Amino acid sequence: MEEFFQQLTNGLAVGGIYALIALGYTMVYGVLKLINFAHGDLFTIGAYLGLTLLTSMSLMDSLGVFFGLLLLVLMVMGLVGLIGVLLDQIAYKPLRQSPRLSAVVSALGASIVFQNAVMLIYGARFQVYPQDILPRIVINIFGMPVPLIRIMILMASIFMMGALYFFIQRTKVGTAIRAAAEDQGAARLMGIDVNRVIMLVFLIGPALGGAAGLMVGLYYGQINFTMGWIYGLKAFTAAILGGIGNIPGAMVGGILLGVIEALGAAYISIAWKDAIAFFVLILILIFRPTGLLGERVAEKI
Amino acid sequence: MIRKALFLFVAVCMAFAVQSVSADTVKIGLMGPMTGPWASEGQEMKQVLDLLAEDVNENGGLIGKKVEIIAQDDAGDPRQASLAANRLSTMDIVAVVGTYGSSITEATQNIYDESQIIQVANGSTAIRLTEKGLKYFFRTCPRDDEQGRVGAQTIKDLGFKKVAILHDNTSYAKGLADEAKALLEKDNISIVFYEALTPGERDYNAILTKMKSSKPDGVFFTGYYPEAGLLLRQKSEMGWNVPFIGGDATNHPDLVKIAGKKSAEGFYFLTAPLPKDLDTPEAKKFVADFQKKYEAPPNSIYAVLSGDGFRVIVEAIKSTKSTDPDKLADFLHKKLTDFPGLTGKISFNDKGDRIGEVYRVYRVDGEGNFVLQP
Repeated sequence: MEEFFQQLTNGLAVGGIYALIALGYTMVYGVLKLINFAHGDLFTIGAYLGLTLLTSMSLMDSLGVFFGLLLLVLMVMGLVGLIGVLLDQIAYKPLRQSPRLSAVVSALGASIVFQNAVMLIYGARFQVYPQDILPRIVINIFGMPVPLIRIMILMASIFMMGALYFFIQRTKVGTAIRAAAEDQGAARLMGIDVNRVIMLVFLIGPALGGAAGLMVGLYYGQINFTMGWIYGLKAFTAAILGGIGNIPGAMVGGILLGVIEALGAAYISIAWKDAIAFFVLILILIFRPTGLLGERVAEKI
Repeated sequence: MIRKALFLFVAVCMAFAVQSVSADTVKIGLMGPMTGPWASEGQEMKQVLDLLAEDVNENGGLIGKKVEIIAQDDAGDPRQASLAANRLSTMDIVAVVGTYGSSITEATQNIYDESQIIQVANGSTAIRLTEKGLKYFFRTCPRDDEQGRVGAQTIKDLGFKKVAILHDNTSYAKGLADEAKALLEKDNISIVFYEALTPGERDYNAILTKMKSSKPDGVFFTGYYPEAGLLLRQKSEMGWNVPFIGGDATNHPDLVKIAGKKSAEGFYFLTAPLPKDLDTPEAKKFVADFQKKYEAPPNSIYAVLSGDGFRVIVEAIKSTKSTDPDKLADFLHKKLTDFPGLTGKISFNDKGDRIGEVYRVYRVDGEGNFVLQP
C-alpha cells in the first residue's frame, strides 16, 4: 500500500507539469483550432531562460528564496509569453486565412527553429540548474517520505490552473476569450477584438508552458534542448484525453496521464508505461470521442 | 530540343565524373550526431577529426594529397543516418568514421558496404554489428560481450547477491543488459529486477520506487549518462543508497553535473580508459593539442575513439599507398598489429573487432572525479 501511495505522488508530480503544458495546447486550439506544435519548445525556452536569469542575477541572494523565486517565475512567464506572441505574429498570423494545414506546417517549422536556436545559443550539452537553490526538505506524510519540492510543484501548478480558470470564467476578458473560442465571427460582431484575444491566448499559454519549463529545471535539474519534444507530446495527449479546447479538461487530463503512467509502470511494466497510457487514451476516445470532459462544442447546442 | 537537353545532361555528368577523378584531396567522411540528443558527442567527434586532419596536412599530407573531412549529421536517429550515409557514399569518400550509437550504425552498415567504403565505428558496441561478415566494417570500441564480462565480474567482486538490471531498449543497452544477465545467472546471482526505461524523460521516480521494492544489493544500469545522472539524483532524493554500476555510455563528465557531486559519489562505471588516464606519448600529445586548440580537454572517450578510427584509416592509406577499399580492408584486418592508438594498442581481427582488453572500472569520488579502480 505504501508503494501505491508513493507511486501516486510520483504520478501527481509528473501530471501537474503535463497539465500546465497541456493548458497552452488547449487554449490555442480552443480559439484558433490550431495545434501549436512549437509549444513544447516554448517550454524548453522557459527552462533555459530560467537558468540564465537564475545564474546571472542571483535573485535568491538579494531577495531571499521566496521572493527571488516569485520574481524569477514572473520574469520567465513574461518573457516566454512575449516569445509566444511573437511566434503568433510571425508564424501564424499571416496564415490566418489559409487552410488550417498551412498553419500546422508552420507550427512544425517553428518548433524546429526554436529547438535549433536553443541548441546554437546554449550548446548541445546538458545544462544543469544549481543544486542548492531550493531547500531539499523531505516531509513525512503517514510515514511516507515525500520531498517538499514535489508538493510545491503540484501546489504551484494547481494554483496557476485555478487562477487561469477564474480568469477565464469570471472576468470580462475571460468571457471575450470564451466568446472568441465559440464563434469568432459572432464575437467580432459583438465588438470583441478577436486579434487581441488571440494575442492574449498566445501570451498566457506560452507563459504557463514557460513556468512548467522552469519548474522542471528547478526540480529535476537537468535540461537540454530536446526536452520539449517528450513533454510536448505527453501534454498534447493529456489535452486530448481531457477534451482539447477545454481548460478543466487539460488539467484533469494532465494529472490523470501522469498517474496512469506511474501506476502502469509500477504494476504492469515500465517499458510498457507509454503504451499503457496511450491505450487508455484510445479507450477513452472510443467511448468519449471528445475526451473525458468533452469539447466545449457541447455548449453551443 | 530533347537531344540538346540530353547532350547537356551527358556533358554535365561527364564534368562531374572528370572532377571526381581529378580530386586532389583524400576525402574521409565523418558521420556523427551533430544535432539531436547526443549532439555533444558528435560535435566533439568533429573537433577531434578536424584537429587530427590538420595535423596530417601540416606534416605533408597523405600520399601527396591533403586530407579533407566531410562531416554529415546523423542526428542520433537511424532514419537520418541512412540519409547521411547515402549522401556520403556519393561524395567520393575513401572511408567513413562513425557513428556513436549502435542502432544508428546498424542502419548505415549495408549502405557503406555496397558502396565499398571502409567504415570505422567509434561508439557502436552492440555485438551483432560485426557478426554479419561485412568486409569493410571495423570498430575501435570494444564489444558488449567484453563489457558484459567485465560488468558481471565487477558485480561479483563487489559481493552483490541480488541484482537489478535496468536498460533503455536501445540495441546497445539491451545487448549489454542481456549479456550481463546471462553471465550473472550462470553464477547463481539472482536478477530480482529486469526492465527498461524510456530515455529522454525527466522523472524516473516511478521506476526507482518499483526497483526499491525488489530490494536489490546493487543496480546495473546499461543506458546513457543523462538518464544515469537523473537516476542517481532521484535515488538519493528518495533516501535510497543502493550502489549503482553503469555501462560505458554513462562515462561523461555531465553525469556528475546532472546528478550533483553528493548523489554521484560511489557510482561505479565501466569504460575504456579516459583521455586523462591514457599514458601513451601519442595520447598525451593529442590531449595537449586538443586543449590548446579548443581550450578544454576532450570529454568523451568516444570522440577519442573516433580519432583512433581516423588514425588507422590514415595509417592504412599511408602503408598501402592506395585508396582501394579492398587493399585497405585487407591491411586493417591482417597487417595492422599493435598500432599505437590514442586509446592503447590497436589490432583488428577478421570480423573487424578490436582485439584486446580495453575496459576498466572507474568510481566517482566525493569531488566528482572519475578514479580508476585497480
